[in-house]
Amino acid sequence: MIRDTKNEWLVALILLTPFLAVYGLIFVYPTIDMFLLSFTDAPLIGEGDYVGIENYTRLGRDRRFDTAMWNTAYFVALSVVPGTAVALAIALGVSRLTGRMQALILALFFLPYILPVSVVYRLWDWTMNFQFGIAMHVFDMLGIARVPVFKTTTWFMPAVAFITIWWTCGFNILLFLAGLRAIPQEIYEAASLDNAGRWTTFRKVTWPLLWPITALNLTIQLILQMKIFDQVYLFSVGGRPNDNLVMVYYIFQRAFQSNHGGRAAAIAVVLFVIVVVVSVLNFQLTRFSGSGKR
Amino acid sequence: MLKLSALKTSALAAAVLMSSAAYAEETVVWWDFLGGGDGVRMKQMISDFNAAHEGEIKIDATTLEWGVPFYTKVQTAVPVGEAPDIMTYHASRIPLAVDQNLLSEITADDWSKMDLAKSDYAPSTWDAVTIDGKQYAVPLDTHPIVLYYNKDLLKQAGRLNDDGTPMGMDSREGFTETLQALKDSGSVKFPLGSVTADGNFMFRTIYSLMGQQDGELMTDGEFLVGDNGQKLQNALSVLAEWTNEGLQSTYTDYPATVALFTSGEAAMMINGVWEVPTMTDLHKDGKLFEWGAVELPVIFDHPSTYADSHAFAIPAGDMSAEKRDAVLEVMSWISKNSLFWATAGHIPAYGPVTESAEYKAMEPNATYSPLTQNMIFDPKSTLAGIAGPIFDVMSTYFVPTLNGEMDPAEAVEEIKVELNDL
Repeated sequence: MIRDTKNEWLVALILLTPFLAVYGLIFVYPTIDMFLLSFTDAPLIGEGDYVGIENYTRLGRDRRFDTAMWNTAYFVALSVVPGTAVALAIALGVSRLTGRMQALILALFFLPYILPVSVVYRLWDWTMNFQFGIAMHVFDMLGIARVPVFKTTTWFMPAVAFITIWWTCGFNILLFLAGLRAIPQEIYEAASLDNAGRWTTFRKVTWPLLWPITALNLTIQLILQMKIFDQVYLFSVGGRPNDNLVMVYYIFQRAFQSNHGGRAAAIAVVLFVIVVVVSVLNFQLTRFSGSGKR
Repeated sequence: MLKLSALKTSALAAAVLMSSAAYAEETVVWWDFLGGGDGVRMKQMISDFNAAHEGEIKIDATTLEWGVPFYTKVQTAVPVGEAPDIMTYHASRIPLAVDQNLLSEITADDWSKMDLAKSDYAPSTWDAVTIDGKQYAVPLDTHPIVLYYNKDLLKQAGRLNDDGTPMGMDSREGFTETLQALKDSGSVKFPLGSVTADGNFMFRTIYSLMGQQDGELMTDGEFLVGDNGQKLQNALSVLAEWTNEGLQSTYTDYPATVALFTSGEAAMMINGVWEVPTMTDLHKDGKLFEWGAVELPVIFDHPSTYADSHAFAIPAGDMSAEKRDAVLEVMSWISKNSLFWATAGHIPAYGPVTESAEYKAMEPNATYSPLTQNMIFDPKSTLAGIAGPIFDVMSTYFVPTLNGEMDPAEAVEEIKVELNDL
């Protein structure tokens, strides 16, 4: 068949234009604007004067920026790999169940995922309340001293990471389950014919065949958790917000509380670059290590 | 045919509407952040207002989340023209709002239309809404913090005066003695319930204690100059000492503090006057002990209490003359009827109300109202105010200090560094 390339181009263009227009308007244009804004001393709303790279050089001496960077990295470390591992374990368990039981258990694990963040916050804030929380009564019964979980720097990030995993792992479980179901049963049959034990089957069959899903999960998690904001913001209300800063929270603080649009934009640019670099690096690395294993 | 008649009807309706435009009902879009016991009172006032202005003005009110969320929304809504017609505002935030061009000036003409004047307000209240000689809001009230106390428990511990007020309100030693006596009596979990898990709240207490030593946060644009750092440290030390010795509740958030007090597990509580309706209503239902509210104890040199003021502001932007008149009527009516607002615990800003015999007879307002002479407001700066930068920096260090995690001296050093970094 002879293809009319000109016509194909036209069709492609017509199909793509609406998306490209919206993409340009709500992503590309604001991103360029953010870069430009980061070189000015603009307030939250309105124009500012050009100040060169001062907003960036300032970050080097900014203690709160250090806190935000460190906390974000810490949170990513606490949530990405553990979160993926938990989801994998649960998915392996659920995949052994069948029928209604499987649907029920899966629904139970998925339930928290549909809750809005404010509900998640209320739930855990009450549970952990230092004076009246249920958890504190459990602590009392066990004879452990009460811990003001969201008010101490030591416990804040681990607690928020734990809650985030509890809240969001339902979605990752679904991804893993889909991956597990995509592995052909014949391979398992062949493995059992070869007298492979459970651990060997997992290590030699399940794990390598599941690796693309694992890599995807890790990457999604990584990008998501680097942009964490809502849980940290809600849980630090009234407590120690400046000790619990993460990158997006710091951007919010600079822009909306200190009225520094330009400085906020500079932090946003830094975060943007970090997310791009880290996620590309992560995806390449996981792909590379995956192909090595196979 | 049907279509045509429908068209005719609507055309007719439009003509009628236009001819009666002068009598059309104005809808005033209203935003406030009054979510507590006082919010219930304000909703009552709004519906009273609507009833009194049936067919002329109707308030369409929305209550938003207090603090950062409210002001964030205002900051973004006003510049894009999505602001309400009238909104509540903290006087302490007005310098920042004016700097951001968020507020419309209340002109001399407006004041005369509202039939309100400078002479109706206390000088400090009037000054709080004035920037460079211009007014940007109509003050509604002042809301200081007070000491709530449980008369039954104090009596048991032998620390209640004959006139029903707590003993030891005049010195640090005296007050600590009262706390100690309550602790020794063994009938309470905590002598004093304080919001020690919320630095935002504790700002009020700590600023009051600084004021008792004539301390200043900001002197000519510089932070904690001279011995003001020491004064802040003194304030923090007293509170930290109380927690360390078990005289004050640790890591207690706002709702828990109120719960500790109302359940009798804490004998006293430092909180805003806006909890008065909570106590009044509980007591009326027979669910509360005998209680009282007095001015904060004098821990240092002289009485002093931090206060802020709720005010009404008109967002910057275009507004028709009719709409503005309606908004002015709202502010005027609410101010003149603010005796009811006093049942929310707040001290009305409108002088004729606070001078009235009815107000003077109100309890517990009458017991604590002398404190208005000792009120101090935030420094007048774009950095100050509820949820503003100064507030934000300082409150972060209050929680660890008050709960014995951080040394007060260290906290003051950190606060200094961060404030000067703003």
